[in-house]
Amino acid sequence: MIIRTIRERFDAWTTLITIALVVIGIFAVYSATFDARASDTFHKQVMFAIIGTVVMAAVIFIPFRILQLVSLPAYALSILMLVSVLLLGKTVSGSTSWFTLGALRLQPSEFTKITTVLALAAYLSRSDVSLRNVRHLMIASGIVVLPVALIMMQPDTGTAIIYLGMFIPVLYWGGASSFTLVSIIAPVVVAVAALLGTTPFLIAVLATGALLYLTKEHRIVAVLVFSLTVLIGISVQFMYDGLKHYQQKRIATFLDPNADPLGAGYNILQSKVAIGSGGVFGKGYLQGTQTQLNFIPEQWTDFIFCVPSEEFGFLGAATVLALFAVLLWRGVALGATVKNRYGSFVAVGITAVLGTHIFINIGMALGMLPVIGVPLPFLSYGGSSLVAALTMVGLLLNLYANRKEY
Amino acid sequence: MTQQFDIELYGKRRVLYTVIAFLTLLYTGRLYQLQLIYSDEYGRKSEENSIRTITKEPVRGTIYDRSGMLVVDNRPAFTVTVTPFEFDKNTVPYLSGLLQLDPEFIRERLHKGEAYSRFAPIKIKRDIDFKMLSALEENRDRLPGVDYQVESKRFYTTHAYAAHILGYTKEVSEAQIKSLGDEYAPGDVVGASGLEAQYESTLRGQKGAEFSMVNVRGQVIGRVENGRNDIPAVEGNNLVLTMDFGLQAFAESLLTDRRGAIVAIDPRDGGILAMVSKPDYDLSLFSGVTPPELWRALNRDEAAPLFNRATLTRYPPGSTFKMMLAIAAVESGTITPGWRVNCGGALRVGNRVFKDLHVHGSVDLVTALQKSCNVYFYQLMLKVGLDTWSKYGDELGFGRLTGIDIYEENPGLLPTAAYLDRRYGRGGWTRGFLPNLGIGQGEIGVTPLQMTVYAALLANGGEYHQPHIVHAIITKSPRTIDTLSFQSRPLGIAPATWAVIREGMRRVVEEPGGTGSMARVSGFESAGKTGTAQNPHGPDHSWYVGFAPFDHPRIAIAVLVENAGFGGTAAAPIAGMCVERYLYGRLIRQEFPTPLKPLHAALHERETEEPR
Repeated sequence: MIIRTIRERFDAWTTLITIALVVIGIFAVYSATFDARASDTFHKQVMFAIIGTVVMAAVIFIPFRILQLVSLPAYALSILMLVSVLLLGKTVSGSTSWFTLGALRLQPSEFTKITTVLALAAYLSRSDVSLRNVRHLMIASGIVVLPVALIMMQPDTGTAIIYLGMFIPVLYWGGASSFTLVSIIAPVVVAVAALLGTTPFLIAVLATGALLYLTKEHRIVAVLVFSLTVLIGISVQFMYDGLKHYQQKRIATFLDPNADPLGAGYNILQSKVAIGSGGVFGKGYLQGTQTQLNFIPEQWTDFIFCVPSEEFGFLGAATVLALFAVLLWRGVALGATVKNRYGSFVAVGITAVLGTHIFINIGMALGMLPVIGVPLPFLSYGGSSLVAALTMVGLLLNLYANRKEY
Repeated sequence: MTQQFDIELYGKRRVLYTVIAFLTLLYTGRLYQLQLIYSDEYGRKSEENSIRTITKEPVRGTIYDRSGMLVVDNRPAFTVTVTPFEFDKNTVPYLSGLLQLDPEFIRERLHKGEAYSRFAPIKIKRDIDFKMLSALEENRDRLPGVDYQVESKRFYTTHAYAAHILGYTKEVSEAQIKSLGDEYAPGDVVGASGLEAQYESTLRGQKGAEFSMVNVRGQVIGRVENGRNDIPAVEGNNLVLTMDFGLQAFAESLLTDRRGAIVAIDPRDGGILAMVSKPDYDLSLFSGVTPPELWRALNRDEAAPLFNRATLTRYPPGSTFKMMLAIAAVESGTITPGWRVNCGGALRVGNRVFKDLHVHGSVDLVTALQKSCNVYFYQLMLKVGLDTWSKYGDELGFGRLTGIDIYEENPGLLPTAAYLDRRYGRGGWTRGFLPNLGIGQGEIGVTPLQMTVYAALLANGGEYHQPHIVHAIITKSPRTIDTLSFQSRPLGIAPATWAVIREGMRRVVEEPGGTGSMARVSGFESAGKTGTAQNPHGPDHSWYVGFAPFDHPRIAIAVLVENAGFGGTAAAPIAGMCVERYLYGRLIRQEFPTPLKPLHAALHERETEEPR
């Protein structure tokens, strides 16, 4: 009876996959910092994993109605923390995103991701809120834009992009019109296309026009959105000039990593070399030359995916990718199964946050996306990131346990 | 509401599943592309990244003469290198001052080397002296990336130069790297002439490699697999020559301040005993860094010291060619040795008069050879004809490469009817050409080496042995001595023919009235023939070909002294002394012929100072 209850309420797959990923991450961090230069990185990561697991376990047992109630206050609190980071934070590699709390340094933006999802879920799950209503849509957007604006001031573009990646699936889940979705996605696509060149830009603009036409929205509104999109695309070039030099370089090298192999393209190239040289079976644990000889800067954080790829080859890399895919798949399934509307939004929102991290980070390591400073959940070194990721899994497990409650 | 929400969600779920599945498959495809399709390319890149290969230069093989005396050895030399990755370009002026090099030269070398590899040390100055080395050592801290390698340079142990035979090495050129392939890298040395070039692959050995792990800053962290994969350099193989360096040194001294060539061969196997070309040069000047001024001076010298007269010149052979005509005449059955000609001091052919030095009266073949009667051979040539003459000339190796193993050789010129037709047009030449060819003058060119091979044939009665300088190769691991085999074959000319001509040659040296009496060596009989080749540019060239001892020849020799006049007075005594030096191991004669008196003192000095 008890066993059946446990089996019924406990998501073994998600738990096992999470543990597997955390363990892989610990091994990867150990390998990446093996030369003793940063050996305490490994010990710290183990400690963070323990703390994160405790937090995860604790989160499972919070009644989710209480979660729903504290969603907005928690959101308000995290916004407050973001503001204080801007005022008192510590600058690490050019961005002020750290917050020292006693011996621990916290990155509030990691936790704001969660509180934003919770707040958004709380708001959208209200029965009087509809995403077809422009005012409600604006409020929902406001919930997301506020932390994004604060994070951009740190500045931390990578984290800001995560919010966009989270927001779109949640909007879709909440029943926003296709016009709304197109209006949000199109400017981003057109802007990226504008950076790539005139032809991609024109194709993107034409595609936007066609999609907007297909949504059958009011002509004047459609034309307005279209013009705005084109304007954004055109002004991207000017904005590009206004970007910080390192950001410009990152974009430029993404477009052609070989142009400056020892300069800005170095990371992408070395990452590809690490992954590619792994071959089918890899070079063996602790045998990856790219990893062991520190050819990839800060590999234990954003380029951690290179470690299993180089040392365990295609088998290792594909396994990690598959574990992530199953995790996300189960998250989406949960979102559709949870009876409670708030819980459904939380499940999809969290899955979207994790998914955005995963696909941006791995895409970057594979040289398919520009270098965006986004950690790989569970694997990348970093206390805030790991604890936040495990907290998110805790939330998913919580929802799974309570999925049949309204 | 809730129910509708649920139904909607199932549809939306499928869309999100699709997005996840699509991205996962896309990334798996990318992984497949990087790790399976381009895996080799990235693997190579990662190796280039992390493994630095330090080349271990092989020690070049050494060279021994026939008695086992070491003649070419190696000595350590310090070569300054610069590794671009570690080098601070601002230190170029300082470094150039220290090494006494042009700063531009260093920059250019760096630039070229960098294109090859940023991590590979570039050699910028070879063979620095100890003073420079210690100055460099003192200033090491100020010159990051500057280092030196211990390389070996050639060291010549004997008094003999043998410059044209041993040859020199030089830094491999960019064009050579392209054509020779992977084995050579910029800064490597390669044999450029003589044996060094001919036996390059034997002498060179194989480069070894040491693999070290380097980190992103290029610092060496340790050996790959503790050096288990390192490839030790394989030393080059040693050469054992057929040459006698005692004789070589002696022969060189005989041509001091003259232009000419001496080639001596062992007629029993074709091994070269000595080969002198004068003027020559000191190879040790080339062993380290060759100063460009010296190189230019040697190239510009009108006496052409770099030019190997023994194998590259085309001199008319003069009267030494009379044996060739005699062989053709007797062997083809045109005459018998008893055939006589009455020499009146000249021969008229058409409206041309061909002269002789003396009136010899009625002579047969042997006497005509002994006294070098031109009229006899004018007549004989007219009787034999060009075609038969050319045929036997070809058989004796004229107009062809001898195949000697020292890289540079000239085939000379043996005229045939076809050649003269080509040269002068059909009918553009007449029988009037022939008498001159009969006495080895006119449009004919031979090398001293060819004449030596010819002398060897006369010595051994028609056993052709391909002339060669390397007797054997000593391989290092496993240690074996491989005796090289060279072509040997009988020419198929009757022994009786050889006997008659050899008798004529014996009389040249040994009988009163012979022209080569100055080649005589006491204690045994010698045979030979003098020649005086007319030279349109100046005094006649003096020739002598011969062999000794007459019964069982052990040495065949050809001597050419440019612009020295009569063969009998200039070339013959030199040949005699060489034979004497070789057969007795020293000079036994007390009297020296007048033209060579001034050399006596010098000779004595060299002989007492025995080579190590």
